[in-house]
Amino acid sequence: MRRAWGWVAHLQQGGTTPWRDWAEEGRPGGRVLPGAQQLELLRRLNLAGRPSADLAGRVLEASAPGRGRPDLELEGAVDALAFGPPPVDPAGLPDDELLRVLASLLADDLAAAGLPEQRRPRSPRFWRTRYRLVGDPVLADPARAELVARGRPPGGRGSVVLVLGADLGTMLVHAWTARSFAEGGPSWRDWLEPLARRRALPPRADLAGTARAWASRVGPERVRIVLDPAELPRLVGVRRPLPGPPALSADGVDLARRVGQVLGLLAVPPRRQRLLRDALRPRLLAVPGPPLTVPAEHLDWVHARAVRVRATLLRAGYAVHGDLDSLLPVDRTGVPEPSDAGVLALGMRLLLENT
Amino acid sequence: MSTRVLLHVGTPKTGTSYLQDVLYRNRRTLAAADILYPADRFDAHFLAALDLMRLPWGGLEAEAVGAWDRLADRVRGHHGTAIISHEILATASRSQAGRALESLGHGAGAEVHLVLSVRDLVRQLPAEWQENVKHRQALTYGTFLDQVRDPQRESRIASWFWGVQEIPDILNRWGHDLRPERIHVVTVPPAGDPHQLLWKRFSLVFGLDGLDLDLEAERANPSLGAPETALLRRVNRAANRELNPSDYRPLVRELLAHQTLSRRTRSPRLALPPDVHPWTQEITRSWVADIEERGYDVVGDLHDLMGAPPVTQYADPDHPAEKQVAAAAVDAIKALLLEGARLRQSEERLRQELRDTQVALERSYLRPTYRWREKVVRRLQGGAVGRWLLAGYRRVRGRSSRSA
Repeated sequence: MRRAWGWVAHLQQGGTTPWRDWAEEGRPGGRVLPGAQQLELLRRLNLAGRPSADLAGRVLEASAPGRGRPDLELEGAVDALAFGPPPVDPAGLPDDELLRVLASLLADDLAAAGLPEQRRPRSPRFWRTRYRLVGDPVLADPARAELVARGRPPGGRGSVVLVLGADLGTMLVHAWTARSFAEGGPSWRDWLEPLARRRALPPRADLAGTARAWASRVGPERVRIVLDPAELPRLVGVRRPLPGPPALSADGVDLARRVGQVLGLLAVPPRRQRLLRDALRPRLLAVPGPPLTVPAEHLDWVHARAVRVRATLLRAGYAVHGDLDSLLPVDRTGVPEPSDAGVLALGMRLLLENT
Repeated sequence: MSTRVLLHVGTPKTGTSYLQDVLYRNRRTLAAADILYPADRFDAHFLAALDLMRLPWGGLEAEAVGAWDRLADRVRGHHGTAIISHEILATASRSQAGRALESLGHGAGAEVHLVLSVRDLVRQLPAEWQENVKHRQALTYGTFLDQVRDPQRESRIASWFWGVQEIPDILNRWGHDLRPERIHVVTVPPAGDPHQLLWKRFSLVFGLDGLDLDLEAERANPSLGAPETALLRRVNRAANRELNPSDYRPLVRELLAHQTLSRRTRSPRLALPPDVHPWTQEITRSWVADIEERGYDVVGDLHDLMGAPPVTQYADPDHPAEKQVAAAAVDAIKALLLEGARLRQSEERLRQELRDTQVALERSYLRPTYRWREKVVRRLQGGAVGRWLLAGYRRVRGRSSRSA
């Protein structure tokens, strides 16, 4: 046990020696010995930068939130007991275990920092084009927010409903991204695979379903499918270009998803969503990385589904801005899934930014 | 500051729902005896536990934001005895337990007592699998037992099971900073003992003897038989992906499991496979020896933890008698039909109310001036000049509802 306390002190002083190479003893420095996950995370933070004493203390006192493995003992530090989870060599812990602790700390930081000051929107112009922006949320939300800021809020008598879309692969990535920043949910693979089995589209990527729902409310003549983003400013009556989708990395989105899970216990849903969107997302955007793409094994069903969406939209006879063929998935550069190592590195970088 | 805090941290399936129901319904009687059970809703301590442990729970966590701190505030603000009880607290980590004890006044003058109610693994293993099935899991009993017996315990099922059931480890995490005489281990009597015996043990530990409490249970967590659990697992496998958690809880867990299938008490009971029995005995012997050594206050008999001998006729829920599953399925369909009929009647009643409202609304619209104004507006909207005039009129009038 004294060897373990020696290692704790070493880590608190910024040390990076792995547990298995550590031999010196130390005096107990707390009520209980921190878990292997917390100690290994602090070692990795020491490798990545210079965490403050306050951050080091927070890491050692943190608990991994949610369901998963409990705080683990260090292998060789305690006598073997007939009960409790088996002790581990912390260097052998999967990144996912360290990420649980890290997400909790980042969520604490976000909740404590609160929301950044909001840009005050201009008062609504009287003469403005009446529109609604729906469809792919990653395309529609930033454009709508910009229009509101310019004094052109959506809605109004006789609004034209603009259903924004892109190729189906991108829309699937956007749907998972929007979900990760809103209510959260499973990992990319765990989210995509049930959809693939049912050949189904989530509501956020179901362009035909969205158009149909709006057509039943306002009539099909007021619904337009927008697949060419360059057309959008003209359709909403502005000259200056509108912002496109934020260029988030795959690891960034997954980090937001993990932090959002913990944030769900620190903030009520609307505030959680705003903290993720307004406070965390700008920090994620500042760290570039490869975007997410649909894995190759899913391209066949995504293509088949896109063909069906195109046929449905053609049959319904909506006005289309852009080419309906652009719904078909295209080969994009990116990664087929986030990597735990990348998410951990990104999370540690954000955590160290605050110290 | 509460002078005495009784903190009941588990374990699940040890009569906790019954205890919490009695405490919740009798909180006024308790308050008269200077005992605080700080709960404005039945699941208040569950929400507080979710908050303390940062445990997502199918969206319920949104209602748990700040719940532990509010609970602890109420306990600290009370002068007398306070009781907190929820079984999932058993899985708290050492630092979470430390934070909880500190927030309740441990080390600052409050006398915190830890209560852990415990039951033999012979009953807990099947009961935990059944709880998993009632929480949407679709894994077989065999897979569950394999995961739980894996020494590495890396799966979520295993880490949760041992987190809430490994008695010496729970006592280590929660009790290492408390004096042994303030740690109370309440054993659940063997099956067949008088029903009131467990309540008497709880009553003794929580200091409720002599109080006039209403002990009629409104909430319980009833058990299912082997074919019923097998049926529910199949339902999970078939419906999980399409049924939202908010619908699963009332329809599957409450209506099917608790209100319908649990009433089938004549079907074979879920039990521990006889070949797993020796393994549980070996573990339990080491637990009992460890707990005896520590000098805790044991209410009941630690040897109750050894459990009943292996069953002679084992009903395997992974290979159930299909006739029994079919009979359970018929009961389930009947319950769903009756619920469907009730909802249809409710929908029809609401439709009728809506129709009545629409008729009343139309009647008020039938006034001649309304029809005249409507005609004018429609005409004006037909042309650009008319729309301009209308907009000007609305602007001057200051109407807030310009948007359609």
